[in-house]
Amino acid sequence: MLTEKVLEVKSLHKRFKTVHAVNDISFELERGDIFAFLGPNGAGKTTTLRILLDIIKADQGEIQWNLNGEQSKLPESSLIGYLPEERGLYVDLPVLRSLVYLASIRGMDAAKANSAAMEWLERMGLADRAKEKLQTLSKGNQQKVQFIASIVHKPAFAILDEPFSGLDPLNQELFLEYIRELNTQGCTVLLSSHQMQLVEKIARKIFLINHGKELYKGSLSGIYNAFGLQHTLELIFESEVPIETLEKINGAELVSALDSNGAKVVFSAEKKLPEIMKDLSALQGITNIKSQNSSLHDIFLELVKKKS
Amino acid sequence: MNNKYLKQIITVTLWEYKRFFKLRNELLGILFLALMGFAAGGIGTFFGRESNEKTEITIFENASDELRNSLAGSYIINEISPDEKNRFKESMNVEKDGMLLWETQDGFALLAYKEPRNMNMLQNSLNEYRMIRALDEKNISPEDFGYVMQPATIESEYIFQPQSRDRKILAGFFAGLMFLGVFLGFAYQFTGITGEKQLKITEQIVSAIKPQVWMDGKILGITLTGLSSMLTYLIIGSLVAAIYFQFTGASAVRILSIMHLPSIILFFAFTMMGILMWNSIMAGLASAITDPNNSGKSSVMMIPSLFAAAAILVMIEPDNNLAIFLSWFPLTSASAMPMRWVSTEVGWWQLPGSFLLLCVTFYFLRKLAAKIFRISILISGKEPTWAEIYKMIKQD
Repeated sequence: MLTEKVLEVKSLHKRFKTVHAVNDISFELERGDIFAFLGPNGAGKTTTLRILLDIIKADQGEIQWNLNGEQSKLPESSLIGYLPEERGLYVDLPVLRSLVYLASIRGMDAAKANSAAMEWLERMGLADRAKEKLQTLSKGNQQKVQFIASIVHKPAFAILDEPFSGLDPLNQELFLEYIRELNTQGCTVLLSSHQMQLVEKIARKIFLINHGKELYKGSLSGIYNAFGLQHTLELIFESEVPIETLEKINGAELVSALDSNGAKVVFSAEKKLPEIMKDLSALQGITNIKSQNSSLHDIFLELVKKKS
Repeated sequence: MNNKYLKQIITVTLWEYKRFFKLRNELLGILFLALMGFAAGGIGTFFGRESNEKTEITIFENASDELRNSLAGSYIINEISPDEKNRFKESMNVEKDGMLLWETQDGFALLAYKEPRNMNMLQNSLNEYRMIRALDEKNISPEDFGYVMQPATIESEYIFQPQSRDRKILAGFFAGLMFLGVFLGFAYQFTGITGEKQLKITEQIVSAIKPQVWMDGKILGITLTGLSSMLTYLIIGSLVAAIYFQFTGASAVRILSIMHLPSIILFFAFTMMGILMWNSIMAGLASAITDPNNSGKSSVMMIPSLFAAAAILVMIEPDNNLAIFLSWFPLTSASAMPMRWVSTEVGWWQLPGSFLLLCVTFYFLRKLAAKIFRISILISGKEPTWAEIYKMIKQD
């Protein structure tokens, strides 16, 4: 199947006073991708997204968009949807009025914007509140309206910066569903998040970033194949966890305390399970051992450790 | 200017206009002002009536008829015998009121519980009395006195005839309108821009449209809002004037004589451009402010009083160097040049010259406002100083 690149980013750099916020970042997205930019707070995700939208300028690097068959440095705003990390809408105005305005400045006809906004509001169970002021809605519902505002004009490409932040588990699941639906309708999605367990459920391609630098980029399945073969064990002790002893075990790549009695240990893929069990049997006071698959979170921590 | 740019500007302009201009609120505001006016008028009439009531004054029975006549116009005169002076003084202490006047060798003596409210009126009455007495003493007839006091007559001929007083009234009226428009614009710019920054809407907006489009739409929308408010006040004012002419039978010709179309077109052009320019300045200032309640930059809001002061200065001394400077300086020219034009001789080229300079200043100020907005929106936490903003504009 022929793939079509819709965004190509090469060697992007951005420095602020003392921080190299984006340090030689390159990646590309194909039409229909759900691409996740992952990293902790302050990793450089939002800065990169703002550069893509020309909200701030890069010091160096190239950005090439190709959404409507024409290559450009910045596509028409009607083709892009953006959910900023810093949320905000006109709280003192009716919900529908704000949504229609935001779609209109992205080039959508007001009548079409009205019906598209109503469609999404209905889907999210907010149609009856369309004429109410935003400030009368609950925080969760305000987040839903914010999401609608970013995609109501039916963009070909949606940039969602931390779409799950501030949501309760129920709404997080709902938002995952909305993003899937958006993607099914033909919208390419670039999202950034530090909530890796949620991204795992939806992204097909990921980019791990820390301190402005690339840690990994590729498919989600690829990262599991490359780094997810380690053995991750959750150990429970009857008394305090001997962290230092665990770290000294040959092949233990990452040891993190779960609480005073529990720890998670990631062993290298080369270390065979019988050898691990033999080493652990030498420790006293283990009351429970649970085996886990490596999560994206574990892999991220592992990669950070390796790179540093 | 392409279609997309124009369409986006119109969208933002209408949004800002509809967001801020509420006819109902305007009418309520006018109604409130009218009620306040009526209340103030009622209170004024009540106290005015009270102050018009004649005050009582006491004189001695043996006072001259001339003194009686001089005081009779303004006072209710009571008379007592000179022997009753002490009793009168005692009663004044009890009643805490009253005044006793008598003539002395050198003039007059006044005994009152406290300094009378209308001392000037008393002084005038006594001046009049003294003058009659003095004329009589010196054997000067009232006709001779009138002749002596006649002013000198001057027959003047001027080569340059300044425009009529009506044009000055018209120029002053437009300066007043501009003052209203700019201050209304200020309020809306500060509420709009700092509000959007605080609500964090700006990033959403600049991802959709260029900061320049947003800024232009905002300046136009808020200018339109200011103009609509001015128009509402004008219409209501005209209705009130019509009712006044209808009921008082006063001549409306006086008002119509002020309505000089070429002057109106000229003053309107300067006023519009002045409001647009000041709205650009205020939009730039508001963009640099994070929290208007705690920002030291809010004090610059008083700067526009400059142009009102400039119009008054030019009206007083239209020919000095300061007036010429003010009529060309873009921050004051919108009100100062029309005022200078109606007050003195101004070369024809000075009007388009000053107007062009005003337009160019507006063009660059709106660009500067958009730049300040662009670099300020992403600054969170501490509000940037002017030095930081200048540095960032240079880097941008």
